[in-house]
Amino acid sequence: MAVEIPKVSYTGKIKTIPIGDPSKGILVGGDEAYPFYGFEGALPNAPRIAMDVQDTPPEECAATIRELFSDVWDDPVAWAQKCIQEYGADMIDLELASTDPNGLDRSAEEAAEMVKKVADSIDVPLIVYGTANVEKDSDVLRMVCEVCEGRHLMVGPVQEGNYKKIGAAAIAYKHTVIANTPIDINLAKQLNILLGNLGVPDEQILIDPTTGGLGYGLEYTYSVMERIRMAAMVQQDEKLQLPMICNIGKEVWKTKEAKQTIEEAPELGDPTQRGVLMEAITAQDLLLAGANILILRHPETVKLVRSMIQELMG
Amino acid sequence: MSKIIASAGIRGAHKIIDRAEKKWNEAMEKFGATQEVAFPNTGYYLPIIYGITGMAVKTLEDMKPVFERCRDLLPPIPAENHHLPYLGPALDAGMAAFFAEECEEAIRYIEEPDFYLSAEEPDEAHPWLGAADDIILRKRGVEFVDGTAPGFAAILGAAPSKEIASEIALELQKKNLYVFMASEDHGTCFAKQLVEAGVQVGWNTRLVPFGPDTSATVYAIGFATRAAMSFGGVKPGDFRKILLYNKNRIFAFAMTLGEVTDEWYANGVGAVNYGFPVIADTPIPEILPTGICTYEHVVSNIPHNEIVSKAIEVRGLKVQVAEVPVPVAYGPAFEGERVRGEDIYAEMGGGRTQAVELVQMKDMNAVEDGKIELVGPDLKDVEPGAKLPLAIYVEVAGRKMQEDFEPILERQIHHLINYAQGTMHIGQRDIAWVRVSKSAVEKGFELKHFGSILHAKFHQDFNTILDKVQVTVYTDKDKVDEITQLARDTYKVRDERIEGMTDEGTDMYYSCTLCQSFAPTHVCVISPERTGLCGAYNWLDCKAAFEINPTGPNQPVEKGELLDERLGRYQGINDFVYSASRQKIESYNLYSIMEEPMTTCGCCECIAAVLPMCNGIMTVDRDHRGETPCGMKFTTLAGTIGGGVSTPGFVGHSKYYITQRKFIRAEGGIQRMIWMPKRLKEEIMPRLKALCEELGIPDFPDKIADETVGITEEEIYPWLEEKGHPALTMDPIM
Repeated sequence: MAVEIPKVSYTGKIKTIPIGDPSKGILVGGDEAYPFYGFEGALPNAPRIAMDVQDTPPEECAATIRELFSDVWDDPVAWAQKCIQEYGADMIDLELASTDPNGLDRSAEEAAEMVKKVADSIDVPLIVYGTANVEKDSDVLRMVCEVCEGRHLMVGPVQEGNYKKIGAAAIAYKHTVIANTPIDINLAKQLNILLGNLGVPDEQILIDPTTGGLGYGLEYTYSVMERIRMAAMVQQDEKLQLPMICNIGKEVWKTKEAKQTIEEAPELGDPTQRGVLMEAITAQDLLLAGANILILRHPETVKLVRSMIQELMG
Repeated sequence: MSKIIASAGIRGAHKIIDRAEKKWNEAMEKFGATQEVAFPNTGYYLPIIYGITGMAVKTLEDMKPVFERCRDLLPPIPAENHHLPYLGPALDAGMAAFFAEECEEAIRYIEEPDFYLSAEEPDEAHPWLGAADDIILRKRGVEFVDGTAPGFAAILGAAPSKEIASEIALELQKKNLYVFMASEDHGTCFAKQLVEAGVQVGWNTRLVPFGPDTSATVYAIGFATRAAMSFGGVKPGDFRKILLYNKNRIFAFAMTLGEVTDEWYANGVGAVNYGFPVIADTPIPEILPTGICTYEHVVSNIPHNEIVSKAIEVRGLKVQVAEVPVPVAYGPAFEGERVRGEDIYAEMGGGRTQAVELVQMKDMNAVEDGKIELVGPDLKDVEPGAKLPLAIYVEVAGRKMQEDFEPILERQIHHLINYAQGTMHIGQRDIAWVRVSKSAVEKGFELKHFGSILHAKFHQDFNTILDKVQVTVYTDKDKVDEITQLARDTYKVRDERIEGMTDEGTDMYYSCTLCQSFAPTHVCVISPERTGLCGAYNWLDCKAAFEINPTGPNQPVEKGELLDERLGRYQGINDFVYSASRQKIESYNLYSIMEEPMTTCGCCECIAAVLPMCNGIMTVDRDHRGETPCGMKFTTLAGTIGGGVSTPGFVGHSKYYITQRKFIRAEGGIQRMIWMPKRLKEEIMPRLKALCEELGIPDFPDKIADETVGITEEEIYPWLEEKGHPALTMDPIM
């Protein structure tokens, strides 16, 4: 007797969201089955990988990141170019670390100019992340939306405290918002409802469930993403039928273990390989939980994760 | 709709269209049919025409079908003896007038290219700005979407003096509204008056002088039309969506100052299409029934000092208060702070003097928002260590306010006053107890600030249900006694009302899914006679919570078809539970512990369990640490049946529910109660006694065993027999 493999009966699908320049027709989402369950339904758009670029040289970072990027890290335009030309990034994520009010506290105007410069210099989709400071982000990202009208950016994190300001600007200037909530399915749903009420079309919303890196809450993120995806696919929860984005590079490479040298932690092995694997394992897990866009930092991770995606997508 | 207004509006529209058409014919001759016409820098052509009809007017020739459409829409002027012309035709006439005026204004752009200044601010030679370009639209429109600017006032005419004009403008600015100005009255107009009064006008001060003619109203309406297309994603020509977008999202209204001409009427009824009501300072007829607009359509004869607050009320706009204006720090961090001993400057209530607080709902016109009064001595009038009587009397009004919400607002007073640094608040109702510290008084804290706090916070937290808040603080003893009596009368009515509410008396129950973050399949359904199992939410709380936050965890649940009266089983509830538990729980019964009981989250106050040998049930509350006759302590029970599952034989519930009439009614109600912790029994005793008397079993409370009788079924059974506990002879529970 032949074994019949049980099949999940899906009642929902993930919405297809266009990103970047519409003439290029780049899409994410559209999943009609659980991640990589191509045998159960169509998965028209493979997960995409963005590489992150800082708008200011990082103060302390892992040696391997320093080696790879210190030649370009005082110039985000060059950094972005390097990611695209040398490492084949599908998209770029620009981290506006310099706007942090507890750090350099750069103004919204300056930040927006920098975003525009980067946007003008690349032809792949651009993600822009603020510093998760509710007040500052609402000034900065609003200005970014205005200055970069017509660039179809993805801007975040848009949180409950600033969704109106950033959401309104995203509607006006046609950008996609990254709706960020602190690892909680109900809050994620609530924020999507609020954005919808504000008038942001579903096609302009991505879910950022908040990423915990390996050893730093990965399992929480995994569970919540899994539940979000289940709610969307088999429980008719329309407000969660949106693609998810995970900002992994930033979380993994800021951990102690990723930065320690071989002298500081000989028992943890080669630091480069260690960091890359921490990033890759986080990425792999979150892909399995349903991530549609990953933001990564190390080119080796990009290579590893890309080969896994290709293999699993068949 | 008032016949006078409808007739005047239709007459006005005829005049406007005749005049505009004449101008168009002249322009066609002068410039030729292919002459381009446009408002500056916009992708929306003539926006009202483009938005409502989908027609893109690019040349003079393109206006031909527009005028044809105007004539189609335009009804004949109603005859004197004709009594029912009204609503539809008048609205159409208003819209047709807008189309014609837009053409007229567009022709002015070719005839007098320098008449309007395309900029953010006017200069001396060019006092009028005309159409806003798309850059201004985006920049300013964003403020409409995110609520920084809730909407605009389209002002026609002029105030009686420049002083009154600037006062009205200032008040509108304070409400963050844009002021769009057009049309003259007796040779002057609002914008000119502002300039004469030295007020800076332009987009940056939100006082926008569009034009001197009535037809310049189309710049305001066109702005609104474009906002719907730009921010609402509405396609040109989808007029229904454009109008609804404006009704629901753009809080705009027209304000007419001066004699209302037929043309003004035409523009007024045109604005009503968008849900924008008209507020007039002259005694014109009113249109009060709701319909197109959220509330009234035309409200007239409003004095100038009230006209802004009236307009805001009629349009349903909410007051925003950004900060709590008190001289001490304010926030949740100070909630738990105590004011003791030497530190006390003044003390009110707490048994030493009378202190009372009362929130009452009043009619809209009986409450003056922001009015805060102190009657009696203030802190600075008394010596440190003084004891004062106190009454905090809050009057609220709102279009969506209900008397049922009074106690909910009143309950907030406790933590809202505690949030101020250097104050302490204990108790509620007529047993309130307030202390103010010396350091707070040093910083300038006055008793009036209680009012400032409540005014600001009520607006911030509850603006979906209220529009106006007025607070009076009394420290005069006679007045305090008077308010105390009023409060006690009010409490009595309230208590009787809540007590009198039954599950049968309403078709709408409320859900609570607040706990789904840790119990994903748990769904509470809260009815008047079954409060939430955490004890924190009763039916009224949920009802108010839903009004306050319509997308929150408390949603209305229509109970639907009654499937089983005994069990409390309803089709509507089952459908809701199935979907809200994400298909994990198919159904449950409201009043049963044995058959599909309600799910339990984990934060329940008590857990009831069946005691098979005694043919009854027991319940245990969270604070009781000991063993119970069911063989499990509270913590074990909670761990076993919590987490959003429905477990026959066990159910979580609130303390209050024990004494509600629907308590496990399917199995016989309170008479099944065999055992509960002694302290819990004492806590609920007053209500328990009342319930038992109502049921005709006044001695029943003494038949409930507790831990002093025993903590196993074997230990308590003989005691129950001796007491003649009714459960022993009831139908078998299993």
